[in-house]
Amino acid sequence: MRFIARYAKDKGRVFEIITVYDTKVEKEQVHKENPVITTLSHEHLAALWFERKMQDDFGIIIQNAFDKRPLVHQEQFPKNLHPMCKDFYAKELEQSEFQPYDYEVINGDGVFQVSVGPIHAGIIEPGHFHFSQAGEKMLHLEVRHFYKYRAVEKMLEGKTLQEAKPIIERISGNESIAYQICYRDILLQASQQELPQALQKRHAFLLELERIIHHLTDLGFIPNDAGFGAALALGSKLAEDARRKMKELTGHRFGFGAIDLQNKFVDTASLHEWLDAMLESITYFEDWITDIPSLWDRLDTTGHLPLKKAVKYDSVGVVARASGLAIDRRLNSFYLKHGFELESELSGDVAARFKVRIAEVKNSLKMMHEFLEADESSLKVGSVADGEYMSFAESSIGELFMAIDIKEGVIERFFARDASFMNWQVLHVMMRRDIIADFPLINKSCDLSYAGNDL
Amino acid sequence: MMKFWNKRIKLGVLTENLELEDEIKSIQKEIKDKVKKKFAGSLAIRMVDSGSCNACEAECNALSNPYYDLERLGIYFVASPRHADVMLLSGLMTFNMQPHVLEAYEQIPEPKWVITLGDCPVMAAPFEQTFAINAPADKHLKITHHIAGCPPSPLEIMQGLLEFLRKI
Repeated sequence: MRFIARYAKDKGRVFEIITVYDTKVEKEQVHKENPVITTLSHEHLAALWFERKMQDDFGIIIQNAFDKRPLVHQEQFPKNLHPMCKDFYAKELEQSEFQPYDYEVINGDGVFQVSVGPIHAGIIEPGHFHFSQAGEKMLHLEVRHFYKYRAVEKMLEGKTLQEAKPIIERISGNESIAYQICYRDILLQASQQELPQALQKRHAFLLELERIIHHLTDLGFIPNDAGFGAALALGSKLAEDARRKMKELTGHRFGFGAIDLQNKFVDTASLHEWLDAMLESITYFEDWITDIPSLWDRLDTTGHLPLKKAVKYDSVGVVARASGLAIDRRLNSFYLKHGFELESELSGDVAARFKVRIAEVKNSLKMMHEFLEADESSLKVGSVADGEYMSFAESSIGELFMAIDIKEGVIERFFARDASFMNWQVLHVMMRRDIIADFPLINKSCDLSYAGNDL
Repeated sequence: MMKFWNKRIKLGVLTENLELEDEIKSIQKEIKDKVKKKFAGSLAIRMVDSGSCNACEAECNALSNPYYDLERLGIYFVASPRHADVMLLSGLMTFNMQPHVLEAYEQIPEPKWVITLGDCPVMAAPFEQTFAINAPADKHLKITHHIAGCPPSPLEIMQGLLEFLRKI
């Protein structure tokens, strides 16, 4: 049974705890006067961050947990404030007294600590990495995030679905289309409508376009982090080509606002040509880069995530597939009919994640041919019914889960779990056999989102 | 390796004669003089993300792709605030990032300038005020120039940087 998410809701006198698995959803209620739940983190290690977040957001006490440190609330966050409770209205907080965070460290003779971040050397999002080092060797890494915590969940409460859309599409820029597709599915569930096939195809086309942009960028950056800059020049050129195509099709380089219910005219003939040219470029790229032995010397065996650990941490997305775990939200009849193939590798290292990305770009291009259709059908959204809705999408990073409760026409609770939220928790396992100089390479090979993780 | 060189010769130079190029030409001397006088020939930028969606960062990374190749103008992204002349600030200035942003600003040697990037730091993006957001950035720092957009395209960022150079 695969663990997907765990989150709480403020229901007046009680908290409701929702636990989502791939096969079922469990609900549990605890009274606010004694809000104690038992941890799931012994069976599902990835439940830990969800529970620590719940503890910060609602003040729920987690019994038997081996880690009770705050997660979202950092050193200067006022103590004993639980902002996701319905009776919290403050729009501004004062920085409170600095309370040091108790990092997970390994102590011993000659073992030392390296703190990196939140501001990093490159053009990259903020997050903190805390290493315990024995010389060059990484003994342990603690990933600490939530510097970008914008309280999106709270921000969306009290808004209609329509008002929430521009915010939801900006939660994580690289995965905007995937967030919009999750939102679309919830909107359709709530208005009890079916999506016309032609619109579904257009949306699927854009999701794959977003995926190839993200993958191509990584295909440049991963070799660049191993000191092979030529790949970045070519990878970023191809990514720019694809991003310009996104702009041409949606009017926005990241596809903000692209998933609407109106099909627009597309010049299918020229797009088929473009897809063929792109396939030729990526085939050349693969052919060329496979021939650079000094690069593969860095990629092979680095950042190894064994299948057993990937399962234990309920990993998702490219990370899981590169370790031999067949998880992909596109494994359904719609995608299979249009040529979807699940791409996976067994070695679980940086090289495997690199190869999975190349294979996925090729498969996406193949599917995009199938998704192209000249059609101008549209759908009018009916009225939205109250209820509790959930949806999934496969973003370029991995499985995205979104849940929205609607009460009296407005959002009562919004929750999103980015693939990154799961995979950040398994990152430290990949460091066991490597030196600290490999860290940027390993981190880039997963290319997780900070913004989607922190919300 | 032969494959690579063949491809390179076939592809040629990708860096574009953007619409901006005429403008660049017309003020090239001006930039050169200004960059030379004020920045010893190169303008060093430290990019700091204070809580964006990562689109602004992606566009800044795109500035170094072969189409834009920003470095040909003498403008560089540097790894440390201590090497920088300018802080390029994106994002909503979250409660959790604010102390770190101010610390990074402290580390930039004088004279220094702050340019805000994208709609977030001026609270013009769709995000609304919450307890976790301390934007607009001008509450905390003196802002010299703002580059608008959600996110601004690489071209708009280049134009914005030119405007900044004219301004100071």
